[in-house]
Amino acid sequence: MEESISDRPSSRTQVFHRSCFAMNTRFSMVLVDIDSETAEAMATGVERDLRALERLMSRFDLESPVSDLNRRASENAVHPPDGLWEILSLCRDYWQRTRGAFDITLWPLNQLWREHFDRGEEPTEEAIERARQRVGLERLHLDETDRTVRFESEGMSIDLGGFGKGFALERVAASLRTQGVERAFLSFGESSITVLGSHPHGPAWPVGISDMFDPQENVRIFQMRNESLSTSGTTPYNGMGGERVFGQIVNPRNGRPIEGYRTMSVASPSGMEAEVLSTALLVTPERDRAAILSGFSNVSAVEIVYHSSAGEYVPRSEWQYGF
Amino acid sequence: MRAAPVGESPSDRVRLGLIGVGTRGNLHIAHLLRTPGVEIAALCDDYEPHLQAGLARVKGAKGFADYRQMLDMPGLDGVLIAAPLYLHARMCLDAFSADKHVFCEKSLAYTIEECQAVADAHRGSKKVFQIGHQRMFSPVFLRAFELVRNGEIGQITQIRAFWHRNGNWRNPVPDPSLEHRLNWRLYRAYSCGLMTELASHHMQVANWFLGTHPASCVGYGSINYWKDGRELYDNVNVVYRYANGTHVIYDSLISNVFYGLEIQIMGPKGTIEAETGRVYAEHPKPAPGIVQLINGLENGFFETVPIGGPSWVPDLKKDTKGSLLVNEKITDDGTAISLAAYANAIRSGQPIPGMMEQACRAGVCVLMGQAAMEQQKEIAWPEGFRE
Repeated sequence: MEESISDRPSSRTQVFHRSCFAMNTRFSMVLVDIDSETAEAMATGVERDLRALERLMSRFDLESPVSDLNRRASENAVHPPDGLWEILSLCRDYWQRTRGAFDITLWPLNQLWREHFDRGEEPTEEAIERARQRVGLERLHLDETDRTVRFESEGMSIDLGGFGKGFALERVAASLRTQGVERAFLSFGESSITVLGSHPHGPAWPVGISDMFDPQENVRIFQMRNESLSTSGTTPYNGMGGERVFGQIVNPRNGRPIEGYRTMSVASPSGMEAEVLSTALLVTPERDRAAILSGFSNVSAVEIVYHSSAGEYVPRSEWQYGF
Repeated sequence: MRAAPVGESPSDRVRLGLIGVGTRGNLHIAHLLRTPGVEIAALCDDYEPHLQAGLARVKGAKGFADYRQMLDMPGLDGVLIAAPLYLHARMCLDAFSADKHVFCEKSLAYTIEECQAVADAHRGSKKVFQIGHQRMFSPVFLRAFELVRNGEIGQITQIRAFWHRNGNWRNPVPDPSLEHRLNWRLYRAYSCGLMTELASHHMQVANWFLGTHPASCVGYGSINYWKDGRELYDNVNVVYRYANGTHVIYDSLISNVFYGLEIQIMGPKGTIEAETGRVYAEHPKPAPGIVQLINGLENGFFETVPIGGPSWVPDLKKDTKGSLLVNEKITDDGTAISLAAYANAIRSGQPIPGMMEQACRAGVCVLMGQAAMEQQKEIAWPEGFRE
């Protein structure tokens, strides 16, 4: 049968792709309908911005301002650079708006569980209690007048791992928009995604939340336009290498990891808010979630729980909001 | 590598004679004593203290001061030549005439004409010839070669290699009259110094990976630090041009060891640093979901791709620092395997192909580099050279 001209795409879409390692994971950007030279220059700029943000926020870089805070802030009030001060202020606001569910001070508690997980054990009640004395954003004092930071307890530690990627995506998206980019797909480790505009061949960017036990299957689909999607969850393994790793999320309210395999995906016009809410909602009991979400606009969310059945894990949407 | 079962019967044993029992010769002894089915039947060195020290290590070996007498010894299957460079060709030719298998240390020969003579003498012969470029037998370099062939780094667009040491490169001399004999690497009548004794290794790898020999080269060399009466350069810089426009940039010096030694094989998709055994991607590969998205975009499909999921764990952090070419710890740089391969080739009567070609390409290459520096002009690959 003869194919009519109009059935074919009028011209092949020009696609530019670049991946790089940043913030402990892989960042990928896909741009469409932009000439390769311009796209290349944009990608270089994005990589540079990501590195700068990483240097500001990484707790693994011993010379970062976050490492400096973690070393000194339990002894003295520390004056962080403006960029970090703004991030800490934002994090405190989100902590309040999520009623303590989003918290950047959980590192000592996470670390306790991670170390025990590696040894195949569970920490004692006393150890959990001790760690809980060193976590909680109420113990992080931000002095608005002097713009200084002080930790109330010895051993406190800031970890921006659950915030940085969303924050960076929001910055990158804003910068690309300023440069005239209308369509883009940006991904941080595929757990944080931001899109600009829509897919060139459809009304939105359709993004599937994949079944973590059967990655080619979509459990839910988000039709994304100018928004961000973040997924948090407990995983049995690192999706890339297949090896068993600590993939749990500790609930700040009781100091224990949340149970079972479950994920929370949140779409929001703001990359930061999607990132913050995906962890916050996961550790918040279902009955309290709507109250938190009433303080945020244009958010949709879905929780997927994996039920064990005949030796297989079957995903089910248990809770959703804003659809 | 051919793995041949080795029996205990004397007829299964390969009987070898070593010509030259200096530093390299002694290393060969150490490896051969551990190689099954090999008998070191004879040792030869015209420097008596080296010969006696060698005979003390190898029980039952016959000692010779003149290699020609060793070649006449009945029952000898093959020889290993670890003598100064200027003797290589003569010894190879005499060994072939005496119907012996030959393992010759790098570099192949002292002049291009001699390289040609050795290649000509071996052409059509069923005798095993092997050259002491052990990187061809190193699991790390073999893996690197496989990656390049599979397109992992794209087309090779440049190779940079260097070998740096910090020291005078001298052997202790008990009497001044022995200076030239024991420090032959420093004098032009016996060697081409850094080029033949070190550069030949990396030039062999470069030619092997690029699948050809260079078209020409230019370079500068000088003695700028070890001004102790030596004749050969203590620092060399040579650029080789290949017919397809690829360049190999080589340098070597013996007054700074900060960068050590490395061969960097570069292409648009990645870099291999073979001496440290790592490969670095220019950009990491995207996740499968992103690949699917890109394919859809390029081909005009509008489909939902499964991308989103929790990536709670830092994935692939190791890739930011490159990946190992070979995961196991490798202690042999290829020398031990290459000697075992030589013995197996003799036993099975099946020479490893391509050895003379590799020997000639590397051997001629470094002599071109030496000539370019000495004559201060561009030196072309010798027209009509038959590998």
